[in-house]
Amino acid sequence: MSRKGKRMKRHRIEATIMRHTYEARRNLDRILDMVYWPVLDIIVWGFFTIYLGRGAAMKPGMISFMLGAIILWGLFFAFQRDMAVGFLDELWSRNLVNLFSTPLSVSEYMTGLIAVNVLKAAVGMSAAALIAWGCYAFDIFPRLPAFLPFMLNLMLFALALGIIITGLIFRYTTKIQGLAWSFAGLLMPLSCVLYPLKSLPTLLRPVAWMLPTTHSFEGMRQVLAGGGFSQSHFAWGLALNVMYFVFAILFFRWIFEAARSRGLLVKVE
Amino acid sequence: MLIEVDHLTKRFGKGSSQFIAVDDVSFEVRPGEIVGLLGPNGAGKTTTIHMILGLISPTAGEVRIFGKPFDAHRQEILEQMNFTSPYVAFPVRLTVFENLMVFARMYDLREPRVKIAGLAKLFGIEAMLRKPVSRLSSGETTRVGLCKAFMNDPKLLLLDEPTAYLDPQIAAQVKQILLDMQRERGTTILYTSHNMAEVEKMCSRIIFLSRGRVLASGTPIEVTQTILNEDRDEPALEEVFLHVAQRQANEAA
Repeated sequence: MSRKGKRMKRHRIEATIMRHTYEARRNLDRILDMVYWPVLDIIVWGFFTIYLGRGAAMKPGMISFMLGAIILWGLFFAFQRDMAVGFLDELWSRNLVNLFSTPLSVSEYMTGLIAVNVLKAAVGMSAAALIAWGCYAFDIFPRLPAFLPFMLNLMLFALALGIIITGLIFRYTTKIQGLAWSFAGLLMPLSCVLYPLKSLPTLLRPVAWMLPTTHSFEGMRQVLAGGGFSQSHFAWGLALNVMYFVFAILFFRWIFEAARSRGLLVKVE
Repeated sequence: MLIEVDHLTKRFGKGSSQFIAVDDVSFEVRPGEIVGLLGPNGAGKTTTIHMILGLISPTAGEVRIFGKPFDAHRQEILEQMNFTSPYVAFPVRLTVFENLMVFARMYDLREPRVKIAGLAKLFGIEAMLRKPVSRLSSGETTRVGLCKAFMNDPKLLLLDEPTAYLDPQIAAQVKQILLDMQRERGTTILYTSHNMAEVEKMCSRIIFLSRGRVLASGTPIEVTQTILNEDRDEPALEEVFLHVAQRQANEAA
């Protein structure tokens, strides 16, 4: 798609939102994706924290660290997965030619997909947060103002990853569709979700530092420990996200044009 | 001219595995014409249509539509044209109505429900509007595609074998609708089909492709005479098609 003279139009973004909202309503898989895993995660980890809480070695605030981390990780994982799965839905239904033979641009399509996925991630996160509040006395809502910048960073990173994975699916087709569900898991050990950065082996710490997720979870732990909002972790996360996001956009543009050139847009399945 | 295709070429692959799908193809389509793009399998028809739609980028050459270069005016051009093919599909869990609503919003229609109801009546799919696409037959899905193609009252329609899965009665109705659209609204149609009798009835001009090249173009009778290299009083596109397909097979062998 040419980038010359393009203007984003609201109605085409709304059409993309409609398409994926209908899909979310009609497709049981999408409904399960939206609430099943966040709820299941928080239930399992909630019981685990109750068990740990009975032990004498449990440090104060540990339960909050774990439940907060599980809720935020669920947000990151769901957003990254849904970006890629939203695109996979078009491939599975062979709808790409229909969509891109209209004036719809890639930017409009991605914006619509982001809007739907923000809503879906918010539904999943709210369900998990309500269970944590009701069952495990962990109330995330008063902490939301301090958490929001870190949540924003998690979602930006998830978006960048979602764009890169979508680009890879364009190039390598549905043969690599498993990345949509598995890629976030690959980053989990290095993102310091459930433990602080200093608990990683020294060699791995610089790698973990380069992940915006690490800064979000470190920042979250600082808030929960009463240390206040960490501007440093937020700024690091944001700067890294800008870098990854620019890379993701450039990569996607390059791979999309390559897909057009190779005729993959009309063949990809 | 409504469509100007100028020295369009598409090569896939590199080196020894390179394949030329479209080879220096040039043609023009005037406003209000129904033009048939014909040729055996592998002639380059669908690749040419996909390049006109911007879905495949050409290796060389240019496409101008409504007098404007496609690449620089993609959105403006695609707002005024549409495309359908029985080989593309719709999200199967969505109902027919939901699918059509998405495209109605895409083209910013003011009264989408009225438009969808009108098109559903025209193509005889009123009873299917609330059904998921997964429950439709191929012929019914083709008619949904035609409804989608008329959603924005296009000035230019690209139709890739639009009657391929339709039974003869519905196919005849669809052809009549297309002829009516062309006569009443001046819709320009670029049409591919393997049904030569249908092409003779529908198209005022033919562009005949073989192995990615234009073999002949003109009225059906002119194309018949050029390719068969003999005087004829009537077009015989079926015979032309078999002649070209045989020659293409011989060359490949």
